[in-house]
Amino acid sequence: MTETTIPRGNTLPRIRPWLGIAAAASFVVASAMALFWAPTDAVQGDVYRILYVHVPWTKNPLFDAMAVASAEIGVLFTGLFLVAGSIWAKPTWGVWWTWEPRLVTTAIMFVMYVGYLLLRGLSTDFSRRATRAAVFGIVAVIDVPIVHLSVLWANSLHQLPTVLRVAGSPALDTPMLVTLMVSLGAYTLIYAYFMSARVSLELARQGRLWTRT
Amino acid sequence: MIERIALVATRELRAERRQPDGVVAAVTFIAVLVLLESLVVGPQIARDADVASALFWLALAFATILATMRSFDRELEDDALEGLVALPGGRDALFGGKVLSLAIVLVLVAAIGGLLSLLLLDLPVALPLHLVVVVLLGVLALPPIVVVDVVLALRLRARAALVPILALPVLVPQLVAATRGTSAAITGDAVGALSWAGLLFAFAVVYTVIGLTIVPAAIE
Repeated sequence: MTETTIPRGNTLPRIRPWLGIAAAASFVVASAMALFWAPTDAVQGDVYRILYVHVPWTKNPLFDAMAVASAEIGVLFTGLFLVAGSIWAKPTWGVWWTWEPRLVTTAIMFVMYVGYLLLRGLSTDFSRRATRAAVFGIVAVIDVPIVHLSVLWANSLHQLPTVLRVAGSPALDTPMLVTLMVSLGAYTLIYAYFMSARVSLELARQGRLWTRT
Repeated sequence: MIERIALVATRELRAERRQPDGVVAAVTFIAVLVLLESLVVGPQIARDADVASALFWLALAFATILATMRSFDRELEDDALEGLVALPGGRDALFGGKVLSLAIVLVLVAAIGGLLSLLLLDLPVALPLHLVVVVLLGVLALPPIVVVDVVLALRLRARAALVPILALPVLVPQLVAATRGTSAAITGDAVGALSWAGLLFAFAVVYTVIGLTIVPAAIE
């Protein structure tokens, strides 16, 4: 893949190395804080530390409906989120999976994004594919607030929100909260790095398609 | 706009009356599933209000997909879609008319399928009027999403597999609300039944508005 196929004015390739460095550096800092600086939880012990990767992975599906780049990364992050959630659930809840509303809704969201990619994959015409995907993206993104609110609506096994609480300040120790926020930032930068690379790839691919036609 | 929607819906219902393969397929599908349910899990479990309600609504969701795909297949077979879309406001009318006509057809399917389920399973219903309200609102909540997904998958290969993959995950909140509401009406929980019915009404309104807003752009 050469840079010459990317349309002029595209600044993504120029900022990508800096984004990569920032993502890598913040990831190292966040991982070090999560493993060594944040204190051990009084109830869950060290197993709670998985939240520093489990929570940031949930953020990215919010942008999923924007484009195929975001959809693919959304599928990856949602899949990792479900796997990490299972790893956390086994020692904490005693099961790998439970039919708890938030888990089920997240799994459904994952299937929706896979459906979104399938819809794109089966459409051969470029402009029709984009329209179809955009329309389905709007319908699918309605599920995102349902995922967030389901934990509040349902009296369930999943713990209630610990950071964005309706009443009061976050129910986390300060080092834990800071580490969580740094992890969230690190994974957001990783997401942005992946996104810029995938968008550049897609632009190059579309550039080739336009050249052919 | 309302006149055009009514026109498309009337045309659709006439076509269904002349060639009622959509209704027949949907009712047969529900009947087969009810029979299979009783045979597979046993009549005692099948008579459980939650199990019977869940199976009924899953069957109705698939029946909606069947009827909607059949409806659009008829348009494609007769080359009628292009003419309809070319009319002023044709795209909005197509979505609105399809949703309206499918809702009417599904009321019929739900009535026959529901009575069949109650008879075969020998289910006593504590609150029949509440059950009617839940079923009516549940039937209204299904077609908007299914029509959107059938339009998106129109003329695509493997669309028979694609439409359920796209539609069923989005239908989960509606199916949960409809199942819980039906179960509540069967067991005599009036407040529960009406609460779930209210949620179904909200879903029906939201997805109809979304469909009318975005589907015209998706119709080719």
